[in-house]
Parts: sequence; C-alpha cells; structure tokens
Amino acid sequence: MTREDVLRPLAARRGQPVVVTTMGAVRPWARFSDHPLDFASADSAMGHAADFALGVALAQPQRKVVCLNGDGSMLMSLGTLVTIVASGATNFVLFVLQNDTYELTGNQAIPGAGRVDFAAMARAAGFSRVHAFADATAYETALPSILEGVGPVCVTLRVEPGAEGPLGRGPREAAAYLRPSLAESARLLRRALATRSGRT
Amino acid sequence: MIHARLIVDELRRQRVTDVLGVPDNASKALLDLLATEPAIRLLTVTREGEAFAIASGLWVGGRTPVVLIQNTGLLEAGDALRGTAMRMRVPLVCLVTVRGHARMAARGLRPSAESVNAELLSQPDLDSVAVLTEPTLRAWGVPWEVLSTDADLPRLAAAFRRGQEGEQPVAVLITTDTVA
Repeated sequence: MTREDVLRPLAARRGQPVVVTTMGAVRPWARFSDHPLDFASADSAMGHAADFALGVALAQPQRKVVCLNGDGSMLMSLGTLVTIVASGATNFVLFVLQNDTYELTGNQAIPGAGRVDFAAMARAAGFSRVHAFADATAYETALPSILEGVGPVCVTLRVEPGAEGPLGRGPREAAAYLRPSLAESARLLRRALATRSGRT
Repeated sequence: MIHARLIVDELRRQRVTDVLGVPDNASKALLDLLATEPAIRLLTVTREGEAFAIASGLWVGGRTPVVLIQNTGLLEAGDALRGTAMRMRVPLVCLVTVRGHARMAARGLRPSAESVNAELLSQPDLDSVAVLTEPTLRAWGVPWEVLSTDADLPRLAAAFRRGQEGEQPVAVLITTDTVA
C-alpha cells in the first residue's frame, strides 16, 4: 500500500484528535489535512515524535492523540513502546509506517529491513490493541474501530518507499504547519488546546 | 545532603504536575517521596531523552512538568533536549544529580570547556561526567542553578523564574544526595 492509502482515509476521519507527524509523513499529511491540532515533529529531534505525542496525550486525557511515526524513528526510541503502556495513557494511537528505509536521506535500508516486526514488539511491550496491515482495503475497513475505544493502540502499516526529501521549516513551505518555527508551532498547538479545553 | 521534603514542597509551590526521569542513588529519597505525593504524577522513562520529549508534550498540553535525571543521562539526552525543549522554548526545569561532584570538588576543580581534555577525562580519581557537566550545559546554552544544601533551596525557585522569563529549559544541579 502507499503512504497516501494510509493518510487519506485517516484525514477523512480527522475529527478533533491531535495528530503528530514526523519524517516521511510530514508533507504528505499536509496534503490531506490543515488543522490547528496538526503538529509536525520536524526540525526537531529524530526518534522523539512518539514520546512528544505521548506527553500531549497524558496532558489531554479527554482527547485522542495520533502519532504518525516512521520505522527508522521508532527504532531510535523502542523503549517508548514500553513507556507508552507504563504511562497508562488510554487515548494514544501510534501508527508506525514501515517502508524499511530512511526515506528522507535517500532510502537507505533500516537495520533489520524486511524482518523487523513492530507489531510483535508492541505486543511484547504490553499494548493490548495491536493491528498490522499490508492491504489498504483491510486497513480502511478497520480504521473506524481503531480510532475508537480505549488505547493505547499500535498500528503497523507496510507501505511502499517514497521519495520525500529532507524536511525544513520556513515561509516557502507548501505545508502550512511547516511555515512557523518549531517554537511557534508548539505555542500555536498549546494555544489551540487551551482554547478547546477552556484554559486561558 | 539536601532534604527531599524541601524540594517537593517547592515543586508543589511551583504547581508542578509531572516529574519524568530515570532513577539514581542520589535522587532515591526524592523519588520515594514523590511516589507518595498525590498532586504530582511520577513517570519513569526508559532513557533520558524520552523525558525531555514527553515533558515538552506535557507542556504543550498545558501541564507543568519537571525532568529528574543524573548528569550521565543529561549527556545521553543532548539531542532530545536540543530538538524538543530548547527548540520549542519550553520553560522546563531539569533537576540533575551530579555524579562525581564530591571527588571533583575535593580537588578544587571547576572545569571549563578550555580545561577539558583527554588527560583530565581519563584520570582515575575523577568521574569524567562531573568534569563535563557544567561545560556541556554552557555549550548547549542551558543556564543552571546549584543545590548543595538545604540553604540553597531558593535557587530552585529561581530556576523556575529563569525558565519562565527566558522561555527555555533551566538545569538545577543537585551536587549531594537527597535524604528523607
């Protein structure tokens, strides 16, 4: 399946969750969604999108938080799978888009490409809801139930490698959420969440 | 030594909601006390970089987190600190226990970036992580305060002020064991 097969149906059910993207999902997600609760973990620290998203989830337990993580990023912080479960967050949905490459740096193979089983790792870490898809139709059919109910949920998706280039931020970026600095993006998301939860 | 109760009382005054980190011997008494503190959620993470990313997310979500790690973990977490809390301008207080401080202080050393070299870092009677802690913070642009005794507690409140005023992380170096 393609990355677009994953993102398009998810954006169609966008609703009010926070969506944190990173690496190869950052620009493609912006082609389907332009929402104040979208956040790009770009120009940041590789491997730390999922734990950043976990922090948002713990702070906002009434709101779903979705992280669109990559396989290379997940490998950099595998312990986060354990921390997510240990934290008790029930509103967290972790997608791992597995294309077996470091796409942004030229599609070099990740360690264990073709063999790494993130779904098995998630189960071993204690995730009680784990889904693995390689087929777009099966994924799209299951998506509504994935996004409902008690988490944490881990969804692994076999996707084809793409050709996304290095990420940047700045006024010339087509993706609106890449135009502000990371600090400004963080402030905007903080403000959007405060407004929606009645905080000032 | 420094009494853990005084630190926790100040964290409560600052309305801290979450403490994230990795345990060490010097922070044991503080962690034991935090585990009984109903107003503060204590979350142990698998490595120190996670603590900075989760704390940044908590702050974005409206909470007031603090990170509690050893100086070894601070060095491990450099890119996470840079790419999350620093880059996002999070006013985050980071409590850092300083392993090796006593031996370094006994020799009267106060290393600077210029004085750190392979010779100094390989001396058997010095803990190299203590030697590197302050020069590293300076290089990263992270200001710090020092807690060595109970009398230093006002420095903890000062760290919170500096974080808010500068919109940035501030380290608090705890150079002695915390005690019950």
